[in-house]
Amino acid sequence: MLGFAIRRILMLVPVFLAVSVIIFLMIHMLPGDPIDNLLRIGAGPDQRAALTEKYGLDRPLYEQYLYWIGNVVQGDFGNAIVQRRPVASLIGQALPYSLTLGGLALLVSTVLGVTVGIIAASFKGSWLDQGLMGGVLFGSMLPNFWIGLLLILVFSVSLGWTPVSGARGWESLILPVVTIGLGGTALVARVTRVAMIDAQGRDFVMLLHAKGVHPAVIQLRHVLRHALIPVVTILALRIGWIMGGAVTVEVVFARPGLGSLLIKSLNQHDYPVVQASLLILAMAVLLGTLLGDLLQAAMDPRIRDNLK
Amino acid sequence: MKSLGKLLLGTALAGGMMLPAQAQDVVAVLSQNETGATSYNPVSATLLSVGAWLMYDRLVVKDENLQYVPNLAESWEEAPDGMTWTFKLKPGVTFHNGTPFTAQTVVDWLPLYKGSENEYLFDAIEYAEVVSDTEVKFVMKRPEPNLLYNLSTVYASIPDPAAFTELGEEFGVAEVVGTGPFKLDSFEIGNQTVLLRNDDYAWGPGDATGHPAKIETLTLREIAEASTAFLELKTGGVDMLMNVPTDFVGEVEGSGNLKLLELPGTDLVYMPINVTKPPFDDIKVREGVAFAINRQEIVDAVFGGRGKAADGFLISALPESQIAPEYRMTYDPERANKALDDAGWVKGADGIREKGGEKLKVTLWTQSDSIFRRLSEVVQAQLKAVGLEAEILTFDNAAIRDQYKTGEQQLAVRTYLWDNADILEWFFSGERLYYPNISMLNDPKAEELKAAAMTGAKNSAEREANFRAYHEYINSLYPYAPIYEPVQLMGYNTDRVTLPEPLHAARFNTLGFLQLEVKE
Repeated sequence: MLGFAIRRILMLVPVFLAVSVIIFLMIHMLPGDPIDNLLRIGAGPDQRAALTEKYGLDRPLYEQYLYWIGNVVQGDFGNAIVQRRPVASLIGQALPYSLTLGGLALLVSTVLGVTVGIIAASFKGSWLDQGLMGGVLFGSMLPNFWIGLLLILVFSVSLGWTPVSGARGWESLILPVVTIGLGGTALVARVTRVAMIDAQGRDFVMLLHAKGVHPAVIQLRHVLRHALIPVVTILALRIGWIMGGAVTVEVVFARPGLGSLLIKSLNQHDYPVVQASLLILAMAVLLGTLLGDLLQAAMDPRIRDNLK
Repeated sequence: MKSLGKLLLGTALAGGMMLPAQAQDVVAVLSQNETGATSYNPVSATLLSVGAWLMYDRLVVKDENLQYVPNLAESWEEAPDGMTWTFKLKPGVTFHNGTPFTAQTVVDWLPLYKGSENEYLFDAIEYAEVVSDTEVKFVMKRPEPNLLYNLSTVYASIPDPAAFTELGEEFGVAEVVGTGPFKLDSFEIGNQTVLLRNDDYAWGPGDATGHPAKIETLTLREIAEASTAFLELKTGGVDMLMNVPTDFVGEVEGSGNLKLLELPGTDLVYMPINVTKPPFDDIKVREGVAFAINRQEIVDAVFGGRGKAADGFLISALPESQIAPEYRMTYDPERANKALDDAGWVKGADGIREKGGEKLKVTLWTQSDSIFRRLSEVVQAQLKAVGLEAEILTFDNAAIRDQYKTGEQQLAVRTYLWDNADILEWFFSGERLYYPNISMLNDPKAEELKAAAMTGAKNSAEREANFRAYHEYINSLYPYAPIYEPVQLMGYNTDRVTLPEPLHAARFNTLGFLQLEVKE
């Protein structure tokens, strides 16, 4: 298992470098110049030239990339050009908000998704199965910002139960968590349902039924345990997507976080912050995938053996 | 998202309100253009929110007529040759940490700008010297008639120089030591700033002198999404919006407990005309376009009658905007049609002008905000009425500046926010072609007048006259068409707060928050 883990981690290195190149090139190809956002009315061409040189933007692109990635691998994200703070400090302030939001959203989509999946599988083919799966599928098709606004209008404006926005107390987490959580529920529910139905057809389940074990015990203790392998993998994969999904939700709910920081920095062309934020979001996807693989391998020895 | 929010809002039930803030606490939402500030360091920051106005004071401040009035300086005197300025300071002023504010403070403060982003503000000052505890003299390298303007900006806020040096990079983030009516309690970048009343504050400007603020706590929240900010105001989650976008003005007016406060604006909407791109390389075509815009119709149809029709390049509160009538650009369809006729463009059967078999078709660039798109459509229709067909091209807000740098634009609709006549140099200097000089104007006489206006004056009266001449000459070349002078609109909850009306200040900051009251 250790060898497997090391091999998978080593495989991440070239992926990480490729992702960093893509992010860097994409940002620098976007129209816009961070220096425009630094120059105040009245500033002369000499001030533009001095700032361009100060931030190394006059150097060839490959040199800028090597300088940036060289520092990043040493843990130094540099200084924000427009926001004038160390990037690590800006991200350090934003990340806890996003991790809290993402973590709770993952919890919501897991609990909801697995519950719906179990119920749907237990009543396979019934109106309940079709109704539940249709409902979560519809929910997952709606864009995050739209669900967010809808929830605000119902629970904040009409009912007055929750704050509209912000990051002031646990109440302000409810709507954004539900917004992101609902988006992932359909996938978790579908995977749970399919895996449960698959496990229900296995010989050992029939044997348990023949032995007279209570159907609920079979479903929850035996079938669910087998069905959880793909569910856990999907949950690990969702870590990255949830972090990415938080971007629009943070803006709609005016919450500080990596998403708000990313949008603001994109508008200002603040390259170092955009690059670092995107790299962290990409790393969340990569690490989620790695975690999914490791968990799957830990639970199913055949996967480890296949890779040997 | 804005229109979706409004649509849904229309169907939502007006109902349960969130619990209001504590009795003497006020929650305000920052203007969209002030969100994203990462520091309250006036020396090095390039973006400061209203919080900086409230935690610091400046030597002078502008009133509602953009005239300079005392703040930390009681009075001032400029030498006839412009080479010295003497400021008499208010006695008894102290910083938040108890340190007295004296002439020595000013002497120690100015060198903090050396090498900083905001050094240009005091570039003309050679040095400052103490005359007495309450009198300081600036010895100048050259006359600087714009000094009072520079001293009145938020970037000329005065921190305690000793605390500033001691805290280094953390000054303005972890701690702020100013003399302003509020002290920093906490600052979470991208989220909110909490300010506490400075009980010792008795040196406020104008009507608010002699007493501290009436409110105890002020929370300044950052909400980038306009529809979210409006819903917060509507549900009582916040008490004030420092800026109500045009899209939400009707919603605020239609809500029983919400009210708008109108303040003079510092921005201007205009249409740059690229003088190098045919057909606008012909001054007669530019003249035709400049007089074809029905400004009042735009004010009424797009902006609900709020704001003013613009007839020059400067906001009307500036004295340099008072130019001779022959240089003002107003709606005059006869003159517009005559100018286009004189240029040889003749109306065809479809109403569009032609010359040598070529139709008078141009492009009109605009940015993606809904208000700009609406405005551009009205301008498009007005140009069509005089026989010019304009195709609207919409660009993303973050990308349009790079598009201007190509110099391919013919017409554009845009805005600027500035309250000094030197904006003329920024947008029309021959040394700033492509961007910011989108009009691509490079005229020798304009360059001479620019030099006289920017650096040729010894005192403010001379500067004003020079800028007026520069403004008039630019207008005579029609490198732009003025459109609209907006007002600033604040929204507030009348059940919660009372705002001073009329407010004797150019912006709602120190004076406004000193006079703001919470209804018990």
